[in-house]
Amino acid sequence: MKFLLGLALKNLSRYKKRTIITAAAIAVGLGIYIFIDAWLLGAEMESERNLIWYESSSARVLNESYWEEKDQLPLKYVIENPEEVTVRLQELKIPAAPRTVFGGELIVREDPFEQDGSMQVKIFSIDPEQDNTVFRFRETIVKGRYLKPGEEGILIGSWLAEDLGAEVGYPLTIVTRTRHGYYQIIDVEIVGIINCPNPSINRGAIFLPLDTADTYLEMQGAVTEINLKFPERSDAEMLAASIEEKLIEDFKGIEILSWKILARDYVAFAAMKQSGTRMILFLVFIIAAVGVSNTMLMAIYERFRELGMMRALGMKDSQVRLTFLFEAGGIGFIGSVFGVMLGCILCLWIVNRGVDYSAMIRDMDIGYRVTGIMRGAWHPKALVIAFFLGIILSVVTAFFPTRRALKMTITDCLRFQ
Amino acid sequence: MKRTVMALLVTLMVPASLWAISAEDIIKKLEKNTVTKTARIDGVMIINDRFGIKRSTFISYARGADTMLIEFTSVEEEGMKILRTRDEIYLFYPDAEELIRMQGAALKESVMGSDMSYEDMTGGRTLLQSYKVKLEGTEEIDGAPCYKVSMEAKKKGVPYYKQIMWIDKELFIYRKIHKFSRSGKLLKEIICDDVRQVSGKNIAFHMVLKDTMKRNSSTEFVINDIQINIPLKASIFSLEELTW
Repeated sequence: MKFLLGLALKNLSRYKKRTIITAAAIAVGLGIYIFIDAWLLGAEMESERNLIWYESSSARVLNESYWEEKDQLPLKYVIENPEEVTVRLQELKIPAAPRTVFGGELIVREDPFEQDGSMQVKIFSIDPEQDNTVFRFRETIVKGRYLKPGEEGILIGSWLAEDLGAEVGYPLTIVTRTRHGYYQIIDVEIVGIINCPNPSINRGAIFLPLDTADTYLEMQGAVTEINLKFPERSDAEMLAASIEEKLIEDFKGIEILSWKILARDYVAFAAMKQSGTRMILFLVFIIAAVGVSNTMLMAIYERFRELGMMRALGMKDSQVRLTFLFEAGGIGFIGSVFGVMLGCILCLWIVNRGVDYSAMIRDMDIGYRVTGIMRGAWHPKALVIAFFLGIILSVVTAFFPTRRALKMTITDCLRFQ
Repeated sequence: MKRTVMALLVTLMVPASLWAISAEDIIKKLEKNTVTKTARIDGVMIINDRFGIKRSTFISYARGADTMLIEFTSVEEEGMKILRTRDEIYLFYPDAEELIRMQGAALKESVMGSDMSYEDMTGGRTLLQSYKVKLEGTEEIDGAPCYKVSMEAKKKGVPYYKQIMWIDKELFIYRKIHKFSRSGKLLKEIICDDVRQVSGKNIAFHMVLKDTMKRNSSTEFVINDIQINIPLKASIFSLEELTW
């Protein structure tokens, strides 16, 4: 065995050019695989984080009838006693933020705006203090200031502000319906513009103080939802179920839904993207595999005569096969080492610098909750997989031509052109 | 002396209270005049806004106070239908061959870009079932003496919390309506004129609707022809008929 290993190593150093070319093909294939995997993983992780930090929260307490009619943004299915629920959640050390979400028509008028107009919007009424224990909007103000309780002021997404031509201090009117169904007009002023890493917020969100909304919408203290924050990387579904179990005894008619249910469109989209990602990685793998196979095949075929000579000198078929497989494994090993190194260099760039997609994402919804720079993420599992894949692939692709050569007679091998 | 003054006051007041008409009576008379068993209207909707003037002709069929079918006949919207039943509003677009049930936020959308929302078309309950009414006095609207009746919602679910109607004292038809938001801001104004008598009913042949949230915008409804209490097939107001 030691002799065979030594022979394989000698062969590797004897045919330097071939070894380098074959190993380089493996290294490039694996490097690209590692890079793309890190890039897509980074986008997915950042997107998920931005979804939880700015949109869905980890989980949400809702009236059990709300979810079925969520698209209508109904004010009839509410949590009547949010303070009691919040206190109970705080006892369980779960940060909670009540909100009332409602729909309305946003009306802008010429002077100060360029022209009259209106659009349907979704309005999030938030408790300016409590909301920051769950969401992170305070840090995303780019113009003006954050909301103050009780004021008739709003925060508006930066892209929506751009589309409307709105600035801090501009007046807006919201036409909506109260909890009892009556038309209501809320005259507000823009106090701040937010630009957060979640494009869906920048594109159309409007935030109003909860107590202001409570008065105008005749909510009498009720809210439509209480958002919860769980520790990062916790199992949101399991935690939501266990908290619901604890709360349900005291608060009838509520349910807690984890972000995976709240953002099920996104989750379905992410799953679809993942299968797309897998397909891209598979294609990258195929390209790498074809390259590796081709160079390995060439390497074996051009050495049929050498193989025949080894057999003529008395080496057993199994020993010849093992020598060639060791050699292929060696090439695979060198290629994998350099491939992982190349992948790491590319990852360093994509993880730390990223690619600026802001111009594209501004006008197009690609589904990911990422604005601006899309960064990658380190994926140690992919590095390990790529490393062993390089070696195994080389050995497997060397196996078949070797087997074919060993099936030939020694004289045929020696005559092989 | 005191007794004499009291007796005189009572004598003066009794006839006045006996002859005075209550707000409820005014509304009942208004509804008696405006609600027909059946009606067929051939009319035009004229939308004036910053984009210019747009005319859409239509034929509408009505049965009672809460069932109505509008079919647009102008080239642009030909075949588009709106069916209002007691509780629902349906839209039919012939190009898409699609039937849409209007609900939730969609009811707030305007009807073909006009100042009227689909919600303004919803009905079902009479005014007295939905509103507490109060006679505020009398005022003249375009020279016509009118009762000024204010109405405040007594039931949840009606779109306008407060309305003020100016109802013609003689014809019992509204000359002007103001519709307010919960906070008391004026949302819509309706002005009616060109009142004519058809089959014993006083009908305004011209109506202007203004959404006060939209500046420089108004929608006019002009009746070209109206037939009242004519036989109408019940199937006209069915969903099956709507898609034909």
